[in-house]
Amino acid sequence: MSISAPRSWLGDLDGLLRGKRTMGEALRQGIIDAPLSRFIPFAIGLGACYGFFMGWFAYAGRTAEAWQQLVASTVKLPALFLLTLFVTFPSLYVFNALVGCRLGFLAVLRLLVAAIVVNLAVAASLGPILAFFTLSTTSYAFMVILNVVLLAIGGGVGLGFLLKTLRRIEAEAMEEARSEAFIRVETLKEEAAARGDTPPAAEIRAAAEIPTTAVGSANVIFRIWVVIYALVGAQMAWLLRPFIGNPDMAFTWFRGRELGGNFFASVLHHMGRLFGV
Amino acid sequence: MAHPLPITTRADAFLHDLIGPRGLAVRNRWLLATILIAGPLYGAVMGSFAFTSAERLLMILYAAIKMPLLIGVTSLLCLPGFFVLSTVLGLRDAFGRSLRAILTSQAALVLVLASLGPITRVVYFSGVSHSQAILANALMFSIATAAAQIVLWRLYRPLIAMDRRHFAMLWTWVLLYAFVGMQMGWMLRPFVGTPDQPVTFFRDEPFSNAYMVIFGMLTGSR
Repeated sequence: MSISAPRSWLGDLDGLLRGKRTMGEALRQGIIDAPLSRFIPFAIGLGACYGFFMGWFAYAGRTAEAWQQLVASTVKLPALFLLTLFVTFPSLYVFNALVGCRLGFLAVLRLLVAAIVVNLAVAASLGPILAFFTLSTTSYAFMVILNVVLLAIGGGVGLGFLLKTLRRIEAEAMEEARSEAFIRVETLKEEAAARGDTPPAAEIRAAAEIPTTAVGSANVIFRIWVVIYALVGAQMAWLLRPFIGNPDMAFTWFRGRELGGNFFASVLHHMGRLFGV
Repeated sequence: MAHPLPITTRADAFLHDLIGPRGLAVRNRWLLATILIAGPLYGAVMGSFAFTSAERLLMILYAAIKMPLLIGVTSLLCLPGFFVLSTVLGLRDAFGRSLRAILTSQAALVLVLASLGPITRVVYFSGVSHSQAILANALMFSIATAAAQIVLWRLYRPLIAMDRRHFAMLWTWVLLYAFVGMQMGWMLRPFVGTPDQPVTFFRDEPFSNAYMVIFGMLTGSR
C-alpha cells in the first residue's frame, strides 16, 4: 500500500504539502497515501503549535493564571479540529455510500485528516506572525479577528487541498472508466472478427458508453460536508472557548453555556468593537 | 482459512450494499439488526436533550426504545393493507422484493439518522431551547427521510420497469406510511422531553389524534 522503507516524519509532511501523497497509482485504487498513525499526530502537533501561539496573548497580559490559558489553548486547538471531524465524519461516510462513491471508510478518513493537517500546517506557519502581533497589541478584539483571519487562511488552503484531491480522484476514475470502455469495444470487435463479421453499431455504442462516474456526485456531498464541517467547527470553537482569553475575565477551562450566544454573533460583536461601531 | 477482511472494509461493503446505488444485497436479519441498533442509537441521542439529572437517564432509555417501535409498529399496521392491495393489483409474485425494498429503506433511514446523531448532540450542547431542539430533530428526520426515499425509489426502479403498477403501489405505501407514522409519532411522544415535565413513557393525557390537533390549531377551536 505504502512505501515499506521507514520514512522521515518531516519528509512525510513535506510530501503531503507538495501533493505527492495524493496522486498517481495509489489514488487510482482509492487509497490515499497518508497513514493515520502518522498524520493524526501531525494534526495534533501542528494544532498544538498554533494553539501555543494563540495562548501567548493571555501570557502577555501577565495575569496570574496566564500559563493555564497557554496550556488550555495548546490542548484545545487540535481537539477542536479532531472533535469536529469526529462529529461530522459519520454522516459524510454514510452519504458517500448513498451516492455510490468508491472511497471507503479509511480512504475518506485519511483524506480528511490530510486536509486538516494541511490546514493546521498553514495555520502553524502563520503562528510567528500571530506571536509578533500578540507582543505588540493590547486590543483583545484585534486579536480575536486576527485569529479568525489566520485560521480562515489555513482553512481555505486545506479546503483547496481537499477539492484538488477529489478532482484528481475523479480524473483517475474517469481514466479507468475510459480504458475499460476501450477494452470492451476491442473485445467486441475481436469476437466479431473471429466470426468473420463486424459487430452492430448499437452494440459498439453501448460498450463504448462510459457510466456517469459516482465520484462526481461524491464531490457534491464533500462540498456540502465542508459547509457542515465549518458550521459545526465554528460552534464547537464556541463551546470550547476561551481560546485566547479575554483579559477582563478570569481564567476558566470552559466558559460553559450560561453566557449563551454563538460564534457568528461573537465575531460580529468584535468587529463592531474593533471599528468602534 | 480465509484471511478476515479488516473491519473498515467490511463496513464499506455493508454500507454500499445497504444504501449504495447497487443495493439489495443485505440479508434480512442484517437489515433488522441495523434497525434495532441504529434506531435506538439515534433515539438515545434525541432523548438526551434535558439530560441534567440521573432521573433523566430514563428519558434516554425511553426514546431509545421508542425509535424502533415507531418504525416497526407503523410498518406492521400498514403491511396488511399493502399486501392485499398488491395482491388485488396482481403484484403478489413480486411482494417479497417490494417488502425487502421497504425494509432496506427503513434500515437506511435509521442508519442516516444515527450518522447525524453526533451533530444533534452538538446542537444540544449549544444550549438550544426545547423548541429549537425539536426543530433540529425535524431537520435530521427530513434529511434521513430524503435519503431513505432515494434508496426506496432506487430499489423500486427495476420493479417499476417490470410493471408500471408497482409505481402506484409505491406511492400507496409512502402515503399510508406517512399517514400512520405521523399519528404514531404523536402517540409515542415525548421523544425529546420537555425539561420541566416529569419523564414519562407516554404523555400523561388521553391519546389524541394528531390530525385533529392540527385541524384544531388551524381553526383555532382548541
